Amino acid sequence: MNFRDKYLVFRVINHFGWLLFLLLISSASNAAERIGLVKTYSPVATVIREGVETSLKVGSEIFEGDTIVTDGNGAVGIIFKDGAVLTLGPSGKLLVENFLFKPAEKNVSFISKIFKGTVAFASGAIGRISPESVQFETPTATLGLRGTKILIEVE
Amino acid sequence: MIFRILFSALVVNTLVACSGTTVVLVPDANGKVGQVDLTTKAGTTRLSKANESAEASKADKAPSQPEELSESKIKDMFSETLDKEPKPPEHFVFHFTTGSAEILPDEKATVAKAKSAIDSRNSCDISVIGHSDTVGDNAINEGVSLQRADAVIHALIESGVDKNCMDRRYYGENDLKIPTADNIDEPQNRRVEIEIR
Repeated sequence: MNFRDKYLVFRVINHFGWLLFLLLISSASNAAERIGLVKTYSPVATVIREGVETSLKVGSEIFEGDTIVTDGNGAVGIIFKDGAVLTLGPSGKLLVENFLFKPAEKNVSFISKIFKGTVAFASGAIGRISPESVQFETPTATLGLRGTKILIEVE
Repeated sequence: MIFRILFSALVVNTLVACSGTTVVLVPDANGKVGQVDLTTKAGTTRLSKANESAEASKADKAPSQPEELSESKIKDMFSETLDKEPKPPEHFVFHFTTGSAEILPDEKATVAKAKSAIDSRNSCDISVIGHSDTVGDNAINEGVSLQRADAVIHALIESGVDKNCMDRRYYGENDLKIPTADNIDEPQNRRVEIEIR
């Protein structure tokens, strides 16, 4: 390998290093973007985020990948960035699996998993832009919502 | 060991057996009724009328046929959840003349209305979203929709709304209220929407 080749290899590595760095930064900033806020709350409700469970309150931020858990008296009402309103009643467990809201590119998705409990949901802009993008998964079924409001009970 | 396996199999079975899903389609805050598909491995049931309900008791069984539930039954099942529902977001709209980002004199009252809605909800969760019609180049229209959003943000700040409670979006001609072809002068598309959450 002559000097010129070595230089090229160095440049390529340098380039990919930067790409990796940029990729890391962009994925980090995506993960850190809040997707909703807690608007109503009855104790006790918690969020499990990256394996750590913390209690919620009015004004708490919600992120993609959060699992929300309520005890026998707990309830939590969330309004998402697209204007969707989700309320989880007592003894519930719900995962916000996927939330993507880039309306200009028509790039949207809102998929949640309900393990148990009751949920009231009214869709927002994501449902308006792309109705087939709003989905709930439960242990027995999949719910495809084409606007606008549903109530769900998972026993 | 064998007991433990049997026991856990039993636990798993009871869990699955108890995991029935019931869905009810209800009118939204504006009285609008949409549509929902309940799908298992064995079939789909579509609900399209107010208060219609269906159940998926097992993943490998087809969901039940639609059945209309009474208001009192719905209350029985969901009152604890519905009692905690947040107020739905509120929306306000400003319109603009072609190419302009100036708030129209007869829409200045909307600023005060939005401010009082923000105050009464005690909201620090507001989006201001600018749009244009399809007249002219989209790159220029993006700029116009940005200026419109800024004009509304500025008016809200002047009325006392905290700048840090608002996020700005602008879509140029990419999110038309009234779908049109390119280069169409459509007043309803030249707008800024405020969403108060």
